[in-house]
Amino acid sequence: MTQRSFELPVVGAGKRVDHAAAAEAFNADVARTDWHDASLWFVREKRDRAASAVPDWEALRERASTIKEHALTHLDVYLMQFEENATRNGMQVHWARDADEHNRIVHGILAAADARKLVKSKSMLTEECGLNPYLEERGVEVVDTDLGERIVQLRGEGPSHIVMPAIHLRKEEVGETFHDKLGTPAGMADPNALAGAAREHLRKRFLAADCTLTGINFAIAETGGFVVCTNEGNADLGMALAPIHIASVGIEKIIPRVEDLGVFLRLLARSATGQAVTAYSTHIHGPRPGQALHVVLVDNGRTRQLAREEFWRSLKCIRCGACMNTCPIYRRSGGHSYGSTVPGPIGSVLTPGLDLDRYASLPFASTLCGSCTAVCPVKIDLDAQLFRWRQHVVESGKVSLVKQVAIGGSTAVLDRPRLFRVAGALARFGLRLLPEPLARRAAGAWGRTREAPVPPRESFRAWYRKHRGGST
Amino acid sequence: MSGAEQSARDAILGAVRAARPPVVLRGESVTSAARMVGALGTSLVDAFTGAAIASGASVTVCSRDEVGRVIEGAVAGARSVLSFADGIPSHHAPAGDLHDLADLDALVCEPELGVAENGAVWIASSSDRLRAALFLAARVVVVVQENDLVADLHAAYARIDVTAHPFGSFVAGPSKTADIEQSLVIGAHGPKALAIVVVRA
Amino acid sequence: MASSVALFVPCYVDQFFPHVAIAALTVLERLGIKADVPEGAACCGQPAANAGFAREGHSTIARFVDVYAPYERIIVLSGSCAVHVKQHAGEVAAHGRKVDTAGAGVAERTTELCAFLHDVVGVDRISGLAATYSGRVAVHIGCHALRGLGLARPSELQVGPFDKVRALLGAVRGLEFADLARPDECCGFGGTFAVGEPAVSTKMGRDKLRDATTHGARAVVSTDMSCLMHLDGLARRERMGLPMYHVAEVLAGTAGAR
Repeated sequence: MTQRSFELPVVGAGKRVDHAAAAEAFNADVARTDWHDASLWFVREKRDRAASAVPDWEALRERASTIKEHALTHLDVYLMQFEENATRNGMQVHWARDADEHNRIVHGILAAADARKLVKSKSMLTEECGLNPYLEERGVEVVDTDLGERIVQLRGEGPSHIVMPAIHLRKEEVGETFHDKLGTPAGMADPNALAGAAREHLRKRFLAADCTLTGINFAIAETGGFVVCTNEGNADLGMALAPIHIASVGIEKIIPRVEDLGVFLRLLARSATGQAVTAYSTHIHGPRPGQALHVVLVDNGRTRQLAREEFWRSLKCIRCGACMNTCPIYRRSGGHSYGSTVPGPIGSVLTPGLDLDRYASLPFASTLCGSCTAVCPVKIDLDAQLFRWRQHVVESGKVSLVKQVAIGGSTAVLDRPRLFRVAGALARFGLRLLPEPLARRAAGAWGRTREAPVPPRESFRAWYRKHRGGST
Repeated sequence: MSGAEQSARDAILGAVRAARPPVVLRGESVTSAARMVGALGTSLVDAFTGAAIASGASVTVCSRDEVGRVIEGAVAGARSVLSFADGIPSHHAPAGDLHDLADLDALVCEPELGVAENGAVWIASSSDRLRAALFLAARVVVVVQENDLVADLHAAYARIDVTAHPFGSFVAGPSKTADIEQSLVIGAHGPKALAIVVVRA
Repeated sequence: MASSVALFVPCYVDQFFPHVAIAALTVLERLGIKADVPEGAACCGQPAANAGFAREGHSTIARFVDVYAPYERIIVLSGSCAVHVKQHAGEVAAHGRKVDTAGAGVAERTTELCAFLHDVVGVDRISGLAATYSGRVAVHIGCHALRGLGLARPSELQVGPFDKVRALLGAVRGLEFADLARPDECCGFGGTFAVGEPAVSTKMGRDKLRDATTHGARAVVSTDMSCLMHLDGLARRERMGLPMYHVAEVLAGTAGAR
């Protein structure tokens, strides 16, 4: 049974995610934070190098953005076109309004064939729907075959990054998990050896599987086919062998034409990992002989987001993770601190739409530096959307200004003279009008690690009046 | 479709129609965007070779006469070879169930084309055996013609018909992962090696 | 009015860093530009808006539009304030008139100091100031100035390189540039972020300072005093002895003179 070491988001559960508190806990281990930050920055640098090898990369981003906006503004047309063509290709197309309906459809397909050994490749959508525990509760053995997903699955955790699920783990920790769950020698931490052990362990499951479930990177309306991109070939091993293949996809992943794939596949891997392309970009246009091929189209809040004039462009997302790799906050707080299936900047503009109360802190887990917007291959205006979500959070009354300021953490309490100096500085700033709790909290949060600015003898305005005769 | 699914379909399409933002047009043709033609900085075959090597594949450029010998070298030591390539025979290839291909040492096949910007080859087939072998074999050897190299993915999509077979894949290098502390491991779940033979025009 | 150019001094610069505003005024005067500093609008409204209180901050930016609308050019002594005005002033109708382009006009005519000095005055005339500085500095362009105003090429963007701030500082004899590993990573201030997420804010600032000192910087020069307020707070708490200057101070020759 998959257990979670952190709570997966459940709409309406009411428990608020406190990103700042999670980030503070993450930062308690400075060395680990540095390592996590450096790992992800390295991926950002690889992205830069790959992007610079494409002449007029910015034009390619613009094309991708336009195609996605076109697709989304004609989504019903393309969905119907996809369904028609996919059905003609021999696929069975299903529609699911929400996570629960998706899970029931998937389980229904498996149950009808009495299939109980499922091998899964990466699908953030199925994470979002909580598919694994649903199936496990009903007697299906679910094996995540993406190595990073398998690692976190064995540890009972969720992925911390949408492309590199185990980026938060050191190889020694993976070694411990494999020793514990796969019986590898204690202390074995060489990535090659560990990956080799996983290869053997998972190969047996590929060969024994009676069903497979994959995600979909791009669903093509024009031809009724879809594309699955992996480096490991795990999705393909499942698809090539299992008699039942279920592909789950969010409705926003439809693209109009085959030729559009040229644009997206040129952008995807370069943005995600800095590779020119993933090892496998597999195009499926029909089942294998004797295979049942199902596609489940899932809404689960996407039409609600589509209706939001300020936020619908977040649906352009192709799940590359570049925004996470570049985000200075994500790198220094880790994916789990967002408490959402999709973390980082894109998670912070998608998830509040699902439950504003629970995820109220996410739009504030940002300095609005704009780096995410600059790397997004489909030009989602992430920083502008984060700004707009903040207005909604405040308007809804979910977070007051007082609550926005971090309460004290586990670090040392500010000594009185320092507190006085910082508070005094803030008071000089005209903030004596602030409510007492806010002033004290702000002084505490600032002053724990920083000196306050030294108040000068006179303000600039006072100087200006004296030396320049005031204004006109 | 069941009644429940029909109403889900109607509900979703209805929600989409109600939610759709104002129309955004497709705009100019995609094939004008950031093309690699003329931007590779070197010959097609050299660019392709460099990109393929970067993806972890090995590349041998040879003449038509040398192909047989090169492939012999590429499959040297293989106890079983499954070949879909002209003039290259299979050898002790497992014949039964697809699962029997799990022990296959080498697959030899002929991609339709290679893409210089990323070193990928397009392998499409209606053969279940080829498809399974492509991911089960320990190593894969492909033979592609220099004349079948194109500059970028746009050119590739203009040439191939993705609907011609139920399966087609751009394959760039052997299977790999960097999921453990960003260390690159070659041979994740799929093949551990990809050898590309480019036949000179 | 006496001048067609106004200088907007943000609230925190007015209160904590008057010497920076004095330096900015000095530089403009030496270039023959007489800038007014009108009374009546102490704040551009950005702190409130970024905290989610755009509605409450509306009257603040409306007042800004009222006070600055008469000017042909509005020079803002802060990248983040300039971007905020440029992005949001157009939403304001001055004097409550229904059809009013005053806000849009103010947005259009607003610029940040370094952008103004580079684009309008020109590096040649800045060289004419004959400013000098001795030492190696880390240049920090605030994120809003960088990505919002185009003060330099952001490292994410695949376009031809340019850096207006380096061009300005390049006219200062004796000034050397430290080459940071991450030249344009955010410093971690982010307004209420600094007190809302103090752990990450602090970590980001410390990392930036370490990058600067590791690469030989003996001072930090920035377009934004908000960034420097945060970095300086960290540096002084850790007794790093790392002075921080606004670009205006370097150009006015007052950097290091305090």
